[in-house]
Amino acid sequence: MTTTVKLEADALQVYRSDKEVLSGISFSLSSSEVYALLGGNGAGKSTTLLSFLGFLPAAGGRVLVNGKDVSADHKAARAAIAYLPEAASLYEHLNAFENLRYFLQLAGRSEDSPALEAALDRVSLAPASRARRLKDYSKGMRQKVAIALAILRDTDILLLDEPTSGLDPSAIDEFHDLIRDLADTGKTILMVTHDVYGACQVADRIGLLRGGKLVGEFSAPTDGRIETETVHRAFSGRTVDTQLAV
Amino acid sequence: MLQSEVWFLLRDRAFRVWVLVVLLFSGFAVWSGLAEVAQQRQSIAFLVDADSTDRTSEFSAQGDWGSAAYYSFHLTYDPPSDFAFAAMGQRDASSWKHRLRMLALEGQIYEHDPGNPELALIGRFDFAFFAAFVLPLVLIFLLHDLKAGERTAGRFNLLVASAGNDNRLWWTRSLLRAIGVLIAAVGPLLVGGVVSGTSAASLLGATAMVTAYVLFWTVVCLWLGSRQHPASVILASLIGVWVLLGTLLPAGGRVIIDRLVSVPSGADILMTQREAVNDAWDLPVADTMAPFVARHPEWTGYTHTGDGFDWGWYYAFQQVGDQTTESLSAAYRKGRARRDQLAAWFAIAAPPALLERWLQKLAGTNVEAVLDYEESVRAFHAELRAFYYPGLFGDAAFDPARIDDLPQFSSSE
Repeated sequence: MTTTVKLEADALQVYRSDKEVLSGISFSLSSSEVYALLGGNGAGKSTTLLSFLGFLPAAGGRVLVNGKDVSADHKAARAAIAYLPEAASLYEHLNAFENLRYFLQLAGRSEDSPALEAALDRVSLAPASRARRLKDYSKGMRQKVAIALAILRDTDILLLDEPTSGLDPSAIDEFHDLIRDLADTGKTILMVTHDVYGACQVADRIGLLRGGKLVGEFSAPTDGRIETETVHRAFSGRTVDTQLAV
Repeated sequence: MLQSEVWFLLRDRAFRVWVLVVLLFSGFAVWSGLAEVAQQRQSIAFLVDADSTDRTSEFSAQGDWGSAAYYSFHLTYDPPSDFAFAAMGQRDASSWKHRLRMLALEGQIYEHDPGNPELALIGRFDFAFFAAFVLPLVLIFLLHDLKAGERTAGRFNLLVASAGNDNRLWWTRSLLRAIGVLIAAVGPLLVGGVVSGTSAASLLGATAMVTAYVLFWTVVCLWLGSRQHPASVILASLIGVWVLLGTLLPAGGRVIIDRLVSVPSGADILMTQREAVNDAWDLPVADTMAPFVARHPEWTGYTHTGDGFDWGWYYAFQQVGDQTTESLSAAYRKGRARRDQLAAWFAIAAPPALLERWLQKLAGTNVEAVLDYEESVRAFHAELRAFYYPGLFGDAAFDPARIDDLPQFSSSE
């Protein structure tokens, strides 16, 4: 499979309310790659995702989606990306099918019922609950519908903001399997998370954000996963930045 | 996107409730307007019959021109137009019917107290009021949190990222809601128009005006609603704009216009004319007849028939009473027209007032229509004088059969 760079942040600098949130970070993702941005609250993880969607302008550097500068054409960037926001809140007065149909139509897509069922099967949402309004759903069930939506968008790139938030442990494991499956089909996945263990389970590479700076990057060995303990030590600040393995 | 937004909108309970509220309010406004117009037509029809019967009875019972003129009443009226049900306008503040006598005219025009305590309390809830003042509030409540609500719910970025073109999304959402409100508002108006026999041009004109007005408020809501503020702040800002445009600017404009253009009061005209008429009883006859014949040289040959009462002299000082108030009355009319012109300019800055004025113009219930009616009353009264004066100041013998030659008031209907 040919690998092409799908997402790239190049010396990206972003301000929010006159405060520098990203201080010149650089990284890139190729097709079939899962990249996890790991960091504490306020590290700049979500800001990075919003920059790729063109919601936040780059004060310095640039962000590219499929090789195109997002600032030049944010609509093209958004069309190429399926975005799962943190604690995605769908419409509570609609059921799962209606939510999926509505958001897909908004994105210019329409899927038949079997496709919707299949996506909901993939996220293991109980069939009995699918015709119920989302106001009766748990947080985890809502998150599953949002993940199904991201799958159904069928874009080359997925941006996932805390995707396992609200999921129970078994659902998290299923989600990790799903992410790996999607990557194996050529999808490029950038996810941001607090979850060190989860990130190590699923990511090919992990970027550690701290104070708006990318202070380290970890790559999985060819035949295994990134070692959790190493990342955890770095994340909790028990390892100096220069010692981070690459 | 359009199809999905229509589908989405139809599942929005709040939207359905607001549309129902608009439909009920508009329906009530139109219904009450139709009822008022029907009542006014009924009053006019009744008065036309009663007026004729009464005049025939009184006229035939008299033996001279002076008594016939004194005891005969003549109905004038300004019938409501076929669109008046939508905007009663000045019909609530100015008289639309007068029962005239051959006496001094100006006092008869202005002797009515047009203030209606009930209407002064809350105003009339006609379609014009509903459209100008209530409709914007509904739009504000419906549209203020289109974006802020989605931000609060955490859906904003997902929606925009999914739609790609965020402007198109919010415009589509806003316009669809506005169209729903517009249909609910205009629907009863069109039904009322059909019931009332309103011309298609008037209905189309009114629909175009309300559509432009709804579009204006939709743009305002969308513009202020795009600010990244909480929904409550946006709502307060929009209500502020509504108060400014709907209340403060028109009220401020009225104060400014009143100061710029002074207008004598109707009561001043009434009192001046009555005093002139009453004083004439105690003045030498020549003091009355001189200004009268100056206006009517054809009756220079009229001579007062003695020291006592004489109908010719009586009607001469009635006319001189009018002549005394001519300048006041002209200033009053000119002032009202000038104030109205300035108010029209001022209304450009206050869209609610502008819409009301547009609808009142279409309905023929504006100040211009009132002044036109007053002029038609003056013209009719002049015809009455022209009819009676040969008998009063000349030698035409009284003939009860001449009742058939009496001038008939012709309304604008």
